[in-house]
Amino acid sequence: MRIACPFCGERENGEFTYLGDAKPKRPAMVAIDGGAGAPGEAEAFYDYVYLRDNFAGEMSEYWYHGGGCRSWLVIERNTLTHDIKSVRAAPGAGAAKAGAK
Amino acid sequence: MADFTWTTRSPLQQAVIAGRHGAAIAKAGIRLSEIRDFDLVQVFARRGQWAATAKAAKAYFGVAAPTGPKAVTGKKGVLVWSGADQFMALSPRLGTIQPVDGLRGVFEGFASLSDQSDGRCLIRLSGPRVREMLAKVNSLDLHDGVFPIGAAATTSIDHTAVNLWRDADAPDGSPVFNVLVFSSFADSLWHTLVDSAAEYGIEVETVSIAVD
Repeated sequence: MRIACPFCGERENGEFTYLGDAKPKRPAMVAIDGGAGAPGEAEAFYDYVYLRDNFAGEMSEYWYHGGGCRSWLVIERNTLTHDIKSVRAAPGAGAAKAGAK
Repeated sequence: MADFTWTTRSPLQQAVIAGRHGAAIAKAGIRLSEIRDFDLVQVFARRGQWAATAKAAKAYFGVAAPTGPKAVTGKKGVLVWSGADQFMALSPRLGTIQPVDGLRGVFEGFASLSDQSDGRCLIRLSGPRVREMLAKVNSLDLHDGVFPIGAAATTSIDHTAVNLWRDADAPDGSPVFNVLVFSSFADSLWHTLVDSAAEYGIEVETVSIAVD
C-alpha cells in the first residue's frame, strides 16, 4: 500500500503510523469539565474513549507521516481492498493550508 | 581546579576516515563526504503566518522560500523544505554570531526559530553508482525524471529520519545528494551508508564550508 501525502507525494506505508477511526468527536463531558453533568454523558464519553466500530469497507482514518513530514493525515480507505479514496491533511497548524502554494 | 576547554567535535569524528574504502575498483563508484562547519536553523511559520514568513525569507535570502519538497539556493544559504509551513536554513558557519541571532530580526513575530547546527550532521553522497546504493536503504524514486536537481524530501534512510535533497551534479556528471541526519544517529547511518556503498568502491573525504 502506498499513501499520497498531500505535502510529500506518494510514499510507502512504512513511513506512516496508523492511529484509527477519524470520525469520533469528543462529546461534552460537563461533569469533568467542572459542571454538574447530564444524564448519559458518562456513557457517551466511555463510548468515545473506548468503543470502536470494526469497519469492513470504507472508513476515514488518522495516519501520521512520522517517517516524512510529521503531519497528521485523514485518509478515506477501504479496509477490504486497501483502496484509498482520498488523503487530506488533518486540521491544525500548517495543515490548514495543505496543497496551497 | 582544572580549566576545561570545550572543543567542537563532529559526532562523525571517529567514523569518517578519509581515503578509499570498500571494493578495490579503479574509479570509486561512490563518493561520501561529511560537510562540517555549517549553521542550520529551523524556521517554522506560526499559525497563519506563512505568507509573512515567506516574504521575510525572500527579502533576506534573496530567493522564494520553498512551499513544497524543494531546496532552493539563495545568496545567504540554502533553504530546504522540511514540512508544511517550515524549512531549514543552511549556511556556512560564521562563528562570530549565534545562528539564531542572525535571523531573529528577520522573522521576529511570525516564525519560530530553532538552532539545529550541532543537532544534525550533513552527509553528501555522489558518484556514478549513488542511486543504486541509495535504493538499498531508501524507498524514494530518485530517477532524474522524478527527483531532479533541487528536489527535496523528508524521508527515512534505514528507518532513520533524514532531510534529503539533490544538489547540482558533480563535475563528472554524477548526481549529488545531501542528507541531514540527527547527530545521535549520524554514526550509525554513516556505517549503514558505507556498508551499502562498499561493493561499488568508496572515496571518503571531509569538507568544511565555514567562512573564515
